Amino acid sequence: MKIKYFCMALLLMTALMGCNQNESNESELALIKKTNPSPLLIKNNSRNEFDLVKSIEKDIESIKELYDVAVVKGKDDTLVAYKVKHLQRFHMKKIEKKMKKMLEEKYPDEKFTVSSDYKIFLEAVKLNEKMKDPNYSEEKASKRLKEIIKLKNEMA
Amino acid sequence: MLKGKQSWVFPNRPVITATGVSGGPFEANGKLAADFDILHDDLWMGQDSYEKAHRVLMEEATQAVLHKTNLLEEDIHFFIAGDLVNQITPTSMSARTNQIPYFGIFGACSTSMEGLALASFMINYQGANHILTGAASHNAAIEKQFRYPTEYGGQKPPTAQWTITGAGVAILSKNEGHSNLPVTTSATIGKVVDMGLTDPFNMGGAMAPAAADTIIAHFKDLQIDPSYYDLIVTGDLGEIGQSSAYELLTNAGLKIDQEKFQDCGLLIYKEDQPVNAGGSGAGCSATVLYGHLLNQMKLGKYKKILVVATGALLSPLTFQQNETIPCIAHAVSIEMNN
Amino acid sequence: MGNKKKNLTPAQQKYQGLQQKHEFKRPILKNCLRAFWVGGLICMFGQAVTYFYIYFFNFTEQTAGNPTVATMVFFSMLLTGFGVYDHLGQFAGAGSAVPVTGFGNAVISAAIEHRTEGFVLGVGGNMFKLAGSVILFGVFSAFVVALIKTILITWGVI
Repeated sequence: MKIKYFCMALLLMTALMGCNQNESNESELALIKKTNPSPLLIKNNSRNEFDLVKSIEKDIESIKELYDVAVVKGKDDTLVAYKVKHLQRFHMKKIEKKMKKMLEEKYPDEKFTVSSDYKIFLEAVKLNEKMKDPNYSEEKASKRLKEIIKLKNEMA
Repeated sequence: MLKGKQSWVFPNRPVITATGVSGGPFEANGKLAADFDILHDDLWMGQDSYEKAHRVLMEEATQAVLHKTNLLEEDIHFFIAGDLVNQITPTSMSARTNQIPYFGIFGACSTSMEGLALASFMINYQGANHILTGAASHNAAIEKQFRYPTEYGGQKPPTAQWTITGAGVAILSKNEGHSNLPVTTSATIGKVVDMGLTDPFNMGGAMAPAAADTIIAHFKDLQIDPSYYDLIVTGDLGEIGQSSAYELLTNAGLKIDQEKFQDCGLLIYKEDQPVNAGGSGAGCSATVLYGHLLNQMKLGKYKKILVVATGALLSPLTFQQNETIPCIAHAVSIEMNN
Repeated sequence: MGNKKKNLTPAQQKYQGLQQKHEFKRPILKNCLRAFWVGGLICMFGQAVTYFYIYFFNFTEQTAGNPTVATMVFFSMLLTGFGVYDHLGQFAGAGSAVPVTGFGNAVISAAIEHRTEGFVLGVGGNMFKLAGSVILFGVFSAFVVALIKTILITWGVI
């Protein structure tokens, strides 16, 4: 009997691991490992804006409880998705408050949406990848960003 | 004939003419599978409920014993049996099938010996020529009755016991000088003993004092000592109850060889079967005695045995209402007719 | 226990002492280890299901909880029906009883058990025989906690 259960457990584990094999795309691994995507700017590819996004990302990365950050800036909204270090997950709410305060003080003109949700992070990374495709229009991207933000606000 | 305070002796020595034993899949994998007349490999036994399967066990055991004796239902005067389901319906419904005048008795797992003692008494005083007596239990039906649903994944403690699936019946007849057949010679009716135990997952521990009480009373009433018997076998005490009972008997000054003190609940299954502390249930002592032990007696391994079936007289209601577990034991002495 | 002991006669106390020597103890350490491993494996599987919903469907980490619970109960229903879960329960104890799969098992096992008494009186009437108290006290304690939180918020404590 015991052997049977052990085999079942082993099978289950191999099955789960099998799912993660031979996958090359960054976004597919975004849930498991650190991706560190570069910040993404959807509109206004000006030098100024680009520096702004860069500096936002840098500021957020400086928070030591985090280990992975994705920033997406659209026309109006800026999405900040991040992963919290495992043992710091107890302080998730505190970290989010701290980050929001910091961002609002430093960039009073921007409208931020902050999320620690894996799903939001995953979508941010996916959007980042899609943008690499030249055929993917800016319009589509803004629409997608809006959808992601809507999804984030749905959770409460 | 009353002897002592609570014992009967049967000078006319009623004969156990034949026995019929049926069992389920778990028993088929057990140590005593060869001693069963009918074994099922499915708990449902072709029925659409476990209670009906329970009835089938009893009916098949009855058919088996009638087949062996060439007697018909009409030749049997009384049917004395019981089981553990509410209002002993499986037994009553098998009595509806066999149409034998019927005494339904409830003594929890001591039903088998209660029935045998009463049957012996009747036969001894010409109350009947042939009496059919026995007891049955069905694992799934009884678990449903007393504990959780069968598929419920609750962990049972190592003190718990496994309700056996099986029925054992015997036909007891007037002694007409049969040779090489077992006879009943005496019986001791136990009184209810309650040592204040409340754990329904430790029935053996609760029943041991009742068994010890009846065994002590038996030897006192009949003025014999344990060496008279080749084997003293308890019904379904399991490992804990059996060792507790043995210590109680030793403390009371009865010298019993440990080899000669056995338990039906421990005899029936193999060591590697997951039954925790041993088998239990009304069918336990009935199947082991009417199957294995009587076969062994006929083979000459034992000449005189004392069977002490123990019963825990609780219901799911009483233990939920925090009542302690009252227990009882009945003893019947069986000897080979010389 | 202390209360019950008081009402015992000396003979009963003496026997219970004797009986205790022969009684097998539950192997607590072994049970804990088994519960830890099996419970952990079940939760790991649950986490995989959560990720599955996040990954392939439009669920966030928070909203994925509901479909995950439903899926886990469905799996435990299958395992109960195939007669595996009670063996798992005997092996793992709390490890398989505490996760939501244990709740599913309690509901389904009762439903299977009383199928023979018909759908309305049997299945309907007995399905929550075991799980009913879980639901009742779960809802009740949630109510009490919410009440306390509301009071604390109106007082301005939190």
